Amino acid sequence: MEDFYLAYQSLIAFVGINALLALSVYATLSCGQLSLANAGFMAIGAYTGALITLHAPQVPFGLVLFISAILPAIIAVPLGLPVLRLRGVFLAIATIGFGEVVRLAFVNWDFTNGALGLVAIPQRTQPWILWLMVAVVIFVLARLRGSRTGYALEAIREDETAARTMGIETTRYKMAMLAWGASIAGLAGALEAHFTFIVSPAGYGFGRVVDMLVQAVVGGTAMLFGPVLGAAFLTLLPEILREIGARIGLAPGPFRLFLNGVILLVVILYLPEGIISLPQRLRRRKKAA
Amino acid sequence: MKRALSLLFVASFANSASAADQGAVIGVAISLTGPAASYGAQQKAGIQAALADLGPGKLDVRIEDDASTKEQGITVFQKFINRDKVAAIMGPTLSNTASAADPLAQMAQVPVLAVSNTAAKGITDIGNFIWRDSLTEKQVIPGAFKKAQEKLQFKTAGVLYGNDDVFTKAGYDVMAKALEDLKVKVTGTQTFAKPDRDYNAQLTALTSAKPDVLVVSALADNAAAIVAQARQLGWKGPILGGNGFNSPAFIKNAGAAAEGVMVGTSWNSLSKDAANQKFLAAMQKVGVNPDQFSAQAYTGVLILAEAVKQSGGKTTRADIEAGLAKIKDFETPLGKFSFTADRDAQHEPSVQQVKDGKFQIVQ
Amino acid sequence: MGQQILNGIFVGSIYALFAVGYTLVFGVLDILNLAHQAVFMLSAFVALALVENAHLSIWLALPLAIIAGGLMGIVLERLAFRPLRGRAGSNISGLISSLAMATVFEAIALQLFGPDTSRFPQGTFPDRMIQFGSASASLLQVCIAGISVAMMAVLTFLLAKTRLGRSIRAVAESPRAARILGIDVDKVIMLSFFLSSALAGAAGVLFGLAFNSISPDVGRSVELKGLAVIILGGMGSVPGAVIAGFAIGLVEVFTVAYIGSSYRDAVSFAVLFVVLVARPSGLLGQVAVREA
Repeated sequence: MEDFYLAYQSLIAFVGINALLALSVYATLSCGQLSLANAGFMAIGAYTGALITLHAPQVPFGLVLFISAILPAIIAVPLGLPVLRLRGVFLAIATIGFGEVVRLAFVNWDFTNGALGLVAIPQRTQPWILWLMVAVVIFVLARLRGSRTGYALEAIREDETAARTMGIETTRYKMAMLAWGASIAGLAGALEAHFTFIVSPAGYGFGRVVDMLVQAVVGGTAMLFGPVLGAAFLTLLPEILREIGARIGLAPGPFRLFLNGVILLVVILYLPEGIISLPQRLRRRKKAA
Repeated sequence: MKRALSLLFVASFANSASAADQGAVIGVAISLTGPAASYGAQQKAGIQAALADLGPGKLDVRIEDDASTKEQGITVFQKFINRDKVAAIMGPTLSNTASAADPLAQMAQVPVLAVSNTAAKGITDIGNFIWRDSLTEKQVIPGAFKKAQEKLQFKTAGVLYGNDDVFTKAGYDVMAKALEDLKVKVTGTQTFAKPDRDYNAQLTALTSAKPDVLVVSALADNAAAIVAQARQLGWKGPILGGNGFNSPAFIKNAGAAAEGVMVGTSWNSLSKDAANQKFLAAMQKVGVNPDQFSAQAYTGVLILAEAVKQSGGKTTRADIEAGLAKIKDFETPLGKFSFTADRDAQHEPSVQQVKDGKFQIVQ
Repeated sequence: MGQQILNGIFVGSIYALFAVGYTLVFGVLDILNLAHQAVFMLSAFVALALVENAHLSIWLALPLAIIAGGLMGIVLERLAFRPLRGRAGSNISGLISSLAMATVFEAIALQLFGPDTSRFPQGTFPDRMIQFGSASASLLQVCIAGISVAMMAVLTFLLAKTRLGRSIRAVAESPRAARILGIDVDKVIMLSFFLSSALAGAAGVLFGLAFNSISPDVGRSVELKGLAVIILGGMGSVPGAVIAGFAIGLVEVFTVAYIGSSYRDAVSFAVLFVVLVARPSGLLGQVAVREA
């Protein structure tokens, strides 16, 4: 059993990191904003953390993580001010642009070795630290949801115009959630950097943010455990397919990609509130029957 | 559902323990899907050809896909180390994946043989269990450029390189230094990104400065389009490329534009050595036109088998590690192969030029 | 300098052709179709297969591939967009379901054609250079620019002068009102997708011819560039997409020539950003971009 754990401990860690990333997307989705900038914020957190550890190794890991989480939040403010007024798809596009610019900046920056990235980062992330962070983030987000802030966010998500006429300062809340999302993504980035020994711009492109979004949506955003479930499911899926594939003689190849697409399509069409809404739906159907 | 799955996983351990009599268990992590899939496909072909040539019972090879990502690279490595209990690992395809996954093998004291990592840092310097049979650009380019200059007598150069890929960026760093050492003036430097397909703007800018030669650091796909577009824009001068050009895909996609391109390569496809001829024959039998990636992967298998032999047929991790250290002047398709003191590859690189649609050696 | 202008016009014409279809669907359905680039890519492969395996001339393969692209669009609409219609928050769902379809298309391309890059065989198109003063362009490049412009002109004419065009514009304005007016909204949407994807298909084949590169991931970089184009041109505006396509093409080329190629993509995104912040409706757009 111990061997089993050893064989899969990094997989479990990746579930944790992806859970944080999915939660960071959830943060902005909770007030109806589709922000696709989180891969960029993740990159900022990752590089910040790695640079501190490599150049000032005496800084305690907790402080490194804190700085890696704060810096993206600070950067989120000048990003958010101009773009948060934009509607749905336009905000999404603006944030995609931001993410790409961040990635390109790291590709071209000699200080961080451009495409070669930073290597030999000591592995300071322990599973307990990671899961503690996940628990903390869930706790913070849960408190936000339950409070008056949470009601405001939901009102904004339902109908922003109505929320504003009711006196809710929509821009301030949206900005706050953008910053929270950035912060969580930055934290995840730093944790990942100190787990995989290397940061390079390749890991923070458009594909990354799409993965995060998909995990949040497939999991479901009605409950906080939704994104975590989505992250777990989609992180474990390739490994599950690998095992099944090996047993039925299916060579690795495009089929996995195909299956990813089909699963996503099925969920978004037939289970739009995510996997987490499945028990509720079955219960409803039983009642109706 | 989750319970059933975890039971399935645990039960599967029962299968992996019985392979003791089939030779050393080797885990191969290569990119069979994702952006590096075309290199992984070549590597797989090379590995399978080598296994066929070796014969049964020598090595028990398990091939897994790392999907060109460091996450799956790490997951596969951990599986190999703790579940399949491999004696050695070959791969992964990409240098970035290697920098992320190799440290795990080093910590677990499992030898890793890199067969396509060319980054100067972050591979063999991870530790004494990491070895590689792929020459870095630093070992290939300076000699190739020196020879090219002897032939072409160029004094100025325009440089184009891919700045978002480890392979081509590391290659560029070496090229820039080599040009500096040869006292060649660089009249202009342009970059492109791997997904780019249109290089007209960069090429126009470079050629307008009228350099003696165009120097390009690119992988095969980009290289073919770059060369074709350069010729179309009217560039008639020589073109010098790095390792990435060393592929039949380059000649196929560049067509007539490939004519005259000079390349520094780590695999001499034209070598008449027995080992290389055997390799070419094996690849022809499976219908794959080999390139550097398959040559280095094929060689990797031979090296691991030789390491087992050098340790007297013993197949534990420590034995293979010791066996690798003993390899000297071993006959491979890459030439006479040894490891350097830092466990990097050491064999003769070559300079080739495309003539009549085929690579020819430049003497 | 002249050569760079030609380079800009040349790549701009392909960007424009790609963006026109992109913006058409957005105007009509208010949805960003992220599978547009997958149709772009698959159509190029279809043309390649027709030329290489069925030995058709490119002049036959091109229209066939365009029709294939259009059909893919219809499949897309039925599978991924129609079931979502009328659902709240359908913008995000539409985005994601189009993403899912893009993944499926890419997997199909990988399975059928492999991950390697291919090109149209030598001799698919006659090899000839034309001089424009000190600059030169190949006959291929001139034809590509010409075909792009012609197709965009045809589309503009279609939208402005035909009944179908008027129906499309009505549905784009308000589906409900259009239905009341007796327009078969479902059919119009389906035809819009056909047109949009056919244009994507055309762009894909021309791109493959222009740059000797056809691979399953060829759509990715164009997709992001395409976003900059439709934002600059104004979402939903076809003439805007045309102008913006050429504009971005030229901006890119001049960035490479005078600032540095490392900044090329960054400049496109900077333009995207500035437009969204300063004038979100773009050059010619009329779609509501801000919250009321």
